Amino acid sequence: MSTATVHDQPPTSTKRQRILAPPVTGQEIVLLGVIAVLWLVLGFTTPAFMSAGSIQPLLGAVAPIALIGIGMTVVIITGGIDVSVGASIAVCSVIIAKLVLVQAGLGLPVAVITGIVVGGLLGLLNGALIAYGRVHAIIITFGTANLFLWLSLKLFNSSTVNNIPDTLAALGNGSAGRTAGVPNSFLITVVLVALAWVYLRHTAGGRHFYAIGGDQLAAQLAGVKVRQRILIAYLLTGLLVGLASCIVVAQGSNLGQNVGTGKELAVIAAVVIGGTSITGGRGSVLGTVLGALLVQTVASGVTQLGWRSELSDLFVGVAIIIAVGADLIRERARRKR
Amino acid sequence: MRSKLRLTAAVTVALAVAATGAACTKKNDTTAAGGGDAAGGTAKVAFVPKLQGIPYFEAMNDGGKEAAGELGVDWLYQGPTSADAAAQADIVNSFIQQKVDALFIAPNDPDSMAPLIKQGIDAGVKVGTSDTDAPNSARELMVLMASAEGIGKANTEALMKAMGGKGEYAIVSCGETASQLNQWIDEIKKYQTANYPDAKLVDTVYAGEDVAKATQMATDLMNAHPNLKGFVGVCSTAGPGVAQAVENAGKIGKVFTVGMGTPNDMKKYLQSGSASAGVLWDAKALGCLTAWAGLQLAQDKQFQASQPVEACGLDKVTYDSSTKVLLMGDPLTFTKDTVGNYNF
Repeated sequence: MSTATVHDQPPTSTKRQRILAPPVTGQEIVLLGVIAVLWLVLGFTTPAFMSAGSIQPLLGAVAPIALIGIGMTVVIITGGIDVSVGASIAVCSVIIAKLVLVQAGLGLPVAVITGIVVGGLLGLLNGALIAYGRVHAIIITFGTANLFLWLSLKLFNSSTVNNIPDTLAALGNGSAGRTAGVPNSFLITVVLVALAWVYLRHTAGGRHFYAIGGDQLAAQLAGVKVRQRILIAYLLTGLLVGLASCIVVAQGSNLGQNVGTGKELAVIAAVVIGGTSITGGRGSVLGTVLGALLVQTVASGVTQLGWRSELSDLFVGVAIIIAVGADLIRERARRKR
Repeated sequence: MRSKLRLTAAVTVALAVAATGAACTKKNDTTAAGGGDAAGGTAKVAFVPKLQGIPYFEAMNDGGKEAAGELGVDWLYQGPTSADAAAQADIVNSFIQQKVDALFIAPNDPDSMAPLIKQGIDAGVKVGTSDTDAPNSARELMVLMASAEGIGKANTEALMKAMGGKGEYAIVSCGETASQLNQWIDEIKKYQTANYPDAKLVDTVYAGEDVAKATQMATDLMNAHPNLKGFVGVCSTAGPGVAQAVENAGKIGKVFTVGMGTPNDMKKYLQSGSASAGVLWDAKALGCLTAWAGLQLAQDKQFQASQPVEACGLDKVTYDSSTKVLLMGDPLTFTKDTVGNYNF
């Protein structure tokens, strides 16, 4: 079995040959290298890029994107996508800011739990529709995105949420939001990414997501509870959106109705740049964090170098195209083997 | 199984199309009904904001409603839920179809709105702009809250007062193509160069309508320019955004900010000292003036260079017949002591 060429083998043995991708994929090493080079270059060419006052807010800005990116990575690994996360952020943050913090004046635990529960419910709705409705995820989540947007606009009720108390300062970008100099929001992200990385890589449940993305029918025949797994992927994304929304609320004292706008694209960009295949079956949460880190590094770098703001859009666009291109080339190479 | 899947997909798509169609029809019905109520002798004045639901335009709507009660105008207000030019065009179109007497628009995309403005005028509707102009259009009136020079001066004066008249400062704006914001930025530069030669503008960046991004960019600018002493946030999200950045960095009293946020958005930052002043205008009065101007247009009245207004708590406004601009007055500069006087 091991000596035969791959394409003559039934799918199961192909799987066995590369049951685990290397712990750090090629794309992740490239990303790490690019980020390291950028940080070094920016450290030398700008007055303070490598200072705490620059790196701390950068990590704080990465946190919500990377957190949601964990869920989005799992969703994209199953061959799906969730374009409703921006609107979900709007729903969760307005509930946290307006109802929990401003009107009820409740504390951080209640805010975080509320955020996670609300996010979870939204994710559950997405998951149920996609797993049992059997319509492509982009259509379903596009629909729910509009639904969630409507819901958030109803909750905002034509006014900005003002005077949000600093109950969530521990998750914010101020000095109260740091432990040993590192933003708490980023520490939470690192812990959750580590857990997700181990889960996806080393447990049967985690591998099932890859199996579904690789070949849904084969996975089903192999005994994977496909619908249940797909449901969990979107539920997980929703839960993380809830948590990320707490960080978003913690970042200012006002909340306007455009909160979350376009964030689905920022998250998907981080996932794709991180090397997760948009067609499903391959990817890792480590890459997603690095992708988010690269995007924010580019944005901050462009500003600190005094370059024109639109250049960061150009660089991010190029990074996405290179990442997708690299993925397609790898895919083709794999087929030829 | 595959054909079943296809069937499901087809049915879903069909349902989706049907639902969208229904939603559209419904929307048009509502607006038509809104217009239908107005059947009577009173002038119908409609205002289409850039987007509905944000406090600034809601304050304008409040002002318009108030004027409507006072002047006997039928005030109609509808905008898209996001600052989307196409969605806005649909609403403008529906008001033209309803043949309102006067129609005011705060265009998201002034140039793409021009043909529609022409169409409205051809259909016998008096079409003007309010808040934001469409300079290359046939609009019959522009209701302007404050001149660009006035806004440039107010921002610069407020910032220079806090900075002691010298030092490096930076500007954070929203969209790079927002011509009105760019005009204000030019006026800030011009006024500062002429009156505060010891101050220096080091960079202008564009954060979009995203508070968190404005905060992050302001943070990056403070790192890039260690001697930076001030920020102007020239749009409603950049104002609170730059103040938040100063607060996060613990640089209150070292870096000063002036922002064009609404009083409610700026309040907390003015109180903490991370913002020295806010610059805006009374949005409610602007809405009121828009309704009043709509009535004048509907009645074919001519404006005078110094035009008295018998409503809105406004005494006199000025009118420039060459540009057809009705100017409300000077912008407001509010500080922590006066921010409580406004509620929007």
